[in-house]
Amino acid sequence: MKRRDFIKSAGTIAAASPFMNFGAGIKNKKKMLILGFDGMDPLIAYDMIQRGELPNLKKLAQSGVFSMMRTTIPPQSPVAWGSFITGADPGKYGLFDFVHRDPESYFPITSGAETIPASLNIKIGKYKIPLKPGKIIPKREGKAFWDYLEEKDIEATIFKIPSNYPPSKSKQRTIAGMGTPDIHGTYGIYTLYTSDEEEAMKDITPNNLFYAYLDEENVLQDGEILGPVNDLVENGEKTKVFFKVFVDKKNKTARIDVDGKEILIAEKEYSDWVEIDFPLIKGISNITGMVKFFMMDIEKSFRLYISPVHISPKNPAVELSTPPDYAKELAEKGGLFHTIGLPADTKALSQNTFGVEEFLTQSVSVFDESKKLFGIEYERFLNKKSGFLFFYFGSLDQGQHMLWALTDKDHPYYHPEEAKRFGYMKDELYRMHDRILGDVLNTMPKDTGLIVMSDHGFGTFRRKVNLNTFLFNEGYLKLGVKEIDTEISLFDDYSEYDWGNTKAYAVGLNGLYLNMKGRESQGIVTKGERRKLLEEIQGKILQIKDPENGMYVISEAFITEDHFSPDFLIRSPDIILGFNRGYRSSDSSALGGATREMVTNNMNWWAGDHCINPRHVPASFFSNFPINKKIPSIKDMAPTILKYFGINETPTMNGDSLI
Amino acid sequence: MAKKVKLSNENSQKADEIIAFHGYSSLEELIGNLIDSEYEKIKSDDDKDEQAEKLSGLGYIS
Repeated sequence: MKRRDFIKSAGTIAAASPFMNFGAGIKNKKKMLILGFDGMDPLIAYDMIQRGELPNLKKLAQSGVFSMMRTTIPPQSPVAWGSFITGADPGKYGLFDFVHRDPESYFPITSGAETIPASLNIKIGKYKIPLKPGKIIPKREGKAFWDYLEEKDIEATIFKIPSNYPPSKSKQRTIAGMGTPDIHGTYGIYTLYTSDEEEAMKDITPNNLFYAYLDEENVLQDGEILGPVNDLVENGEKTKVFFKVFVDKKNKTARIDVDGKEILIAEKEYSDWVEIDFPLIKGISNITGMVKFFMMDIEKSFRLYISPVHISPKNPAVELSTPPDYAKELAEKGGLFHTIGLPADTKALSQNTFGVEEFLTQSVSVFDESKKLFGIEYERFLNKKSGFLFFYFGSLDQGQHMLWALTDKDHPYYHPEEAKRFGYMKDELYRMHDRILGDVLNTMPKDTGLIVMSDHGFGTFRRKVNLNTFLFNEGYLKLGVKEIDTEISLFDDYSEYDWGNTKAYAVGLNGLYLNMKGRESQGIVTKGERRKLLEEIQGKILQIKDPENGMYVISEAFITEDHFSPDFLIRSPDIILGFNRGYRSSDSSALGGATREMVTNNMNWWAGDHCINPRHVPASFFSNFPINKKIPSIKDMAPTILKYFGINETPTMNGDSLI
Repeated sequence: MAKKVKLSNENSQKADEIIAFHGYSSLEELIGNLIDSEYEKIKSDDDKDEQAEKLSGLGYIS
């Protein structure tokens, strides 16, 4: 089938008719395996299959179906995997973006979980002991498909699925994935000790750069790793653990003494995981985290990278799995593993602390670790007579974000030298995932259902769009300035926002909100004005052109009440922006800020993206059985899994079974 | 400087129940704790910084 025909036929290339009844496929429907390859783009996969580079995906397609799959509005991982989990549209589970906003303060907030601090403290000496411990509440609503399986005593293992942190209550084996924070509660902040003064002074956010002073014996005496804030003391500060580094320049090695351990490390090498105890009450209470050290440079200068502090799966400070011992059990079998939801350190490359080579080294090691853990779970699955296994791989997604500019000559951040050296790696990531499938195809019994799928595709991200600048220029967003000279940020210039006269504002990677009376704290738009205003803004948004080349920057704008169930619509943006190919929300806009220029070049290694019009970045679907729909949707997955196991009643879902 | 606080009978009874339920050692300790927690709520600048730090770690936001 030609590429054009593949796109025209919505991508379905099946050996048999895709409209066949499922009865013609697998007979003994007791086991199913789903491999989730985050970000696998169907057109890239199609081209590579045609070139013979993905033989195992080709084999799978020939035994059943390869199709494009509808993703969610917007095509962001937490939203799309939320739909996969609940078999529903976002309105039913309340996730609409990585970044939501607090209608009280208008500030951007993380969407996946809410932290309730500990309270009702009793003071003992300098300590305050909470009687009511803090907790983290998951914000993904809806009933997960594995809960339906549990009700029928069908065993399921769900490995690192996004939008399940903290893991929802279940007797199934689940472990949290994307959304899981580091020990500080952030998405992951690395630390760098550098003897390059200029580098140590670099103005980046978040900033954990330190100048490394080595004494005359080449010892870094006063290194520190910051831990969580100690809430058990008055005006609690961040806990810290000190370390020393003894450098042997001649042999290009170093010894790191930290928390009673001695770690030997050579230049360009990573250490294994090092567990660290951050003291809360000396000798009584501590929190365990873990880091990897990366001795980036010894000879020319001193550069020591320390990974974000992960929550240890052996001794988790917060709930990482159900049952709680599952994370520990896995760590005991396979060794300590990354627990942060987005484990490859894209920030380190974005901020040029890493070069491409260093990022790749780390990415491949994350992938290898996933492969090892998959081996453990897959073997367990093979030994069972029945059951369900979902296993998530995130390296393709993170890799494409960071490597896109290497293969896009029209990208403003295209680097010809790096492209020559590492340009092959984007496709190599696809081949690495294909080889995992190859191992499965060689060992999996034929009567096991198999799906390989992604949550969205991928595209280039060349130009950044600030929607708040547009809203300001059009008079919908009021600021205390006549013109925007320098960036106006919600965090630094809150007083500049004239909420009492603002009708609309943008927060999040795809979100635009009306300033609704009764919903926002200083809302002015009435229910009566709402629809007309939404349509007026929608019409204007679709006319925004890139001043540099005349391209429309937004190809579709979705009024959410027309697309989503009403259950949790209160959290949703009022319009979700479907950016055109090559465009995406700017960082400033995503955080509620406004800049002088509305459209600017994306000068960053984060050069591939998918937070655009979902029609431009469909997901991928492969199965070893036929399906009954020409274009499946990601919300069809959960009803399909349940039907496979004989469960037909799925009252919380509005997707359709594909079988 | 220490301040005296007058409580209504109703609030005084409620306070006694809270003290008994949570095991506070005195009314002063309970009030001190309530002031602490209210004070924390208005330390919005710290919260903002923390929220900014959380979000800026997201790879999607450079």
